[in-house]
Amino acid sequence: MTTLKKVLKMRTVISTSAGMALATSCYLAGIQVATILVGEMAWISILIAGACCILSALCFSELTAQYPTAAGIKLFIQNAFNERTAIIIGMFYVLLGICMVGAESYLLASVLTHTIKLIDPLFDRFFWMTIFILLVGFINYRGVYITGLVQDILTYAMIAFLLTVSVYTFNRIGIDMSSALTSPKFTLENIVNAAAVGVFLYVGYEWVTPLAEETTDYRMIGRGMLWAIGILSITYCAFTVAMYTGLTKEQLASGTTIPHILFGRNLFGTPGVIFFALMSILASVTSFNSGLLNTSRFAYAMGRDAVLPRVFSRLHPDYATPWVAILALVVFALIVSLFILFTGQYLFIIIMAAALECFIYVVMALCVIRLRRRFPDRQSSFKIPGGYTVPVLTILIFAGLLLGIFMDVSRDSAGRILFANYWVALVMAGVFLLTSLYTFGIVPVLKKRAAARSQQSAKRRPGRKSEA
Amino acid sequence: MASSDEILEALADYQIQCNENKRLRRMQRDWSRLLHFVADDTGDIFTMDVVKGEIVSFTGGTQGTPDIIVTTQSENLCDMFWGDLNPTRKYLAGEIRVKASQEDVIRLDAITMIIWPDV
Repeated sequence: MTTLKKVLKMRTVISTSAGMALATSCYLAGIQVATILVGEMAWISILIAGACCILSALCFSELTAQYPTAAGIKLFIQNAFNERTAIIIGMFYVLLGICMVGAESYLLASVLTHTIKLIDPLFDRFFWMTIFILLVGFINYRGVYITGLVQDILTYAMIAFLLTVSVYTFNRIGIDMSSALTSPKFTLENIVNAAAVGVFLYVGYEWVTPLAEETTDYRMIGRGMLWAIGILSITYCAFTVAMYTGLTKEQLASGTTIPHILFGRNLFGTPGVIFFALMSILASVTSFNSGLLNTSRFAYAMGRDAVLPRVFSRLHPDYATPWVAILALVVFALIVSLFILFTGQYLFIIIMAAALECFIYVVMALCVIRLRRRFPDRQSSFKIPGGYTVPVLTILIFAGLLLGIFMDVSRDSAGRILFANYWVALVMAGVFLLTSLYTFGIVPVLKKRAAARSQQSAKRRPGRKSEA
Repeated sequence: MASSDEILEALADYQIQCNENKRLRRMQRDWSRLLHFVADDTGDIFTMDVVKGEIVSFTGGTQGTPDIIVTTQSENLCDMFWGDLNPTRKYLAGEIRVKASQEDVIRLDAITMIIWPDV
C-alpha cells in the first residue's frame, strides 16, 4: 500500500479542529454562559459542555473511521438511513451553519467599529461586515488555501495568548469563589442551562472530519478532535472566568457585544484593544474561511449529484473553485448579516447554532447505532468501546440539552429577557420543513433531468455504445 | 470486472481527451501531481503523472510517492476514464475513495466535468 507525499500531522488536525471552534462569537457566548450561571463558576458548565462534546466526538470518530471522506456527514446519514434523509439533514445543517456567519460578522464588525471609527456606528458596522464577508469570499474564490503550518501558528498562538492573559488576570485581580458558591444563581438548573449554551463554544470542532483523506491513519482524526476539545475546554474555562472577573459591573450590565475588547482595555489600555481586535480578526477569518471552504464544496458536490441546480457545479476557468456555490453562500451570508445588523438579534443565531450542534450530535449518535445494526460485520479501525453506551448517552444528553435550550429564555448580560427560545425552535422547524419540501419536490425533478442528459450522451467505452 | 489492459486502453483515451481540451489545460495549468489509481477488486494499480495540467505518462504498477490515491472497483476506474461515470456521485456514495487534499479532489472531478459535462 502506497502512502501520500504530503500527509497531515496530528498537530494540524488538532489546530484545525480547535481553530474552527475559536471565533469572535465565542467570547460573547462565554459571557452568556457566565451570565446564566455565576461568572466565577462558569467553568463548571464549560467543562460539562466539553465532556458532552467528547461523547459526540467519539461518535464522529467511529463514523469517520468507517467512512473517511470529505462527504462525511452526508455519507454517514445516507448509509445509516437513506439518501433523502441525508439530503434534508445535510442541507439543513449547511444552511443554518452559514447563518452563524451573520452573528460572527456582526460581532467582528462591532469590534472594529469600536476600535476604528469611520462615520457612524450603523454605517461602520455595515462597512466592516461587508468587507469581512467579501474578503473571505474572495479568498475562497481565488482558491487560496490556508496551509497546515499557517493554521498551526494561528490557532496555537491564539490559545497561548488567551491562556497567558487569563493567568495574568488571575494573578493581578484574583477570583472570589466563595461568594459565587453562595449565590442564588448557582443552581443545578442554571448549570445545565449554561452548559447547553456552552456547547456553542465547541461549534465546528467536527469540521475536521473532511481532512480524514489527508491522513495516514484515520484514527488520528478522532484523537485530534478529543485533544482539541480538551484544549478548548481549558482555554475557555480560564478565559471566560478571567474575562468575567476583569470586566466592571457596569460593563457586564451594559449587554455589550465586545466583552473581550473591554476586558483588553481594562487590562492593558489601548494596546490591549488593538491586540484583542487583531485576535478577533484572525479568529473570524480563519473560522469563516474554513466554513465557507467546506460548505461551498458541499454545495458543489450537491450540484454535481443533481441535488442542487446544475449551476452550483460550475468551476472557475482559472482557479478551479466552485465560484457559483461560493457566490451563493456569500450572498446568503450577507443577507443574514444585514438581518442581524438591523434587528440586533445576534444572540438568536448563537442560540440556534448551539441547538443545531445538539441536533447534529443526536443524529450522529443515531447513525452509529443504525450502522452497527445494518453492517454488523463491517471492519473499522475504531469502534467506541462499551457497546451502545456512548451513542445512547450522546442521544439522551444532547436531546435533553436541545429541549433545555428550546424551553429557556435568552437574556442579555444585564439579565433582561430578549426572546423566548421556542422562537429558535420554530425557525429551525421552518428551515427543516423547507429543506424537506425541497428534497421531496425539487430534487426528484433535478435527478430526472440529470438522468435524461446522461442517457442522451453516448457511452464511449467500447462495447457500450449501444446503450446510448 | 475490468482487466488491466482494458483500464490501460481507457487511460490512453483519457490522456488524449485531457491533453486536447484547452479549457481544462487552462484551468489545470498550475496543477502537477502524481496519481495512483487502485482497483481494489483486482489489486491492479496504475500510476499517472500530471505536469502543469498535462498527462505526461501513465503506466501499470506503482511509481514514485503519490500526491493522490484513488481507490475503487476496476469497472468504476474503466468507466471513469472513458467518461461514462460521474465520479462525484460515486464518491458521495462511498464507492470511490480518495486520499488527497480537498483541492485535489475537486480538481480531479473537474477533469470529467469539463470534458463530459452531461455525465
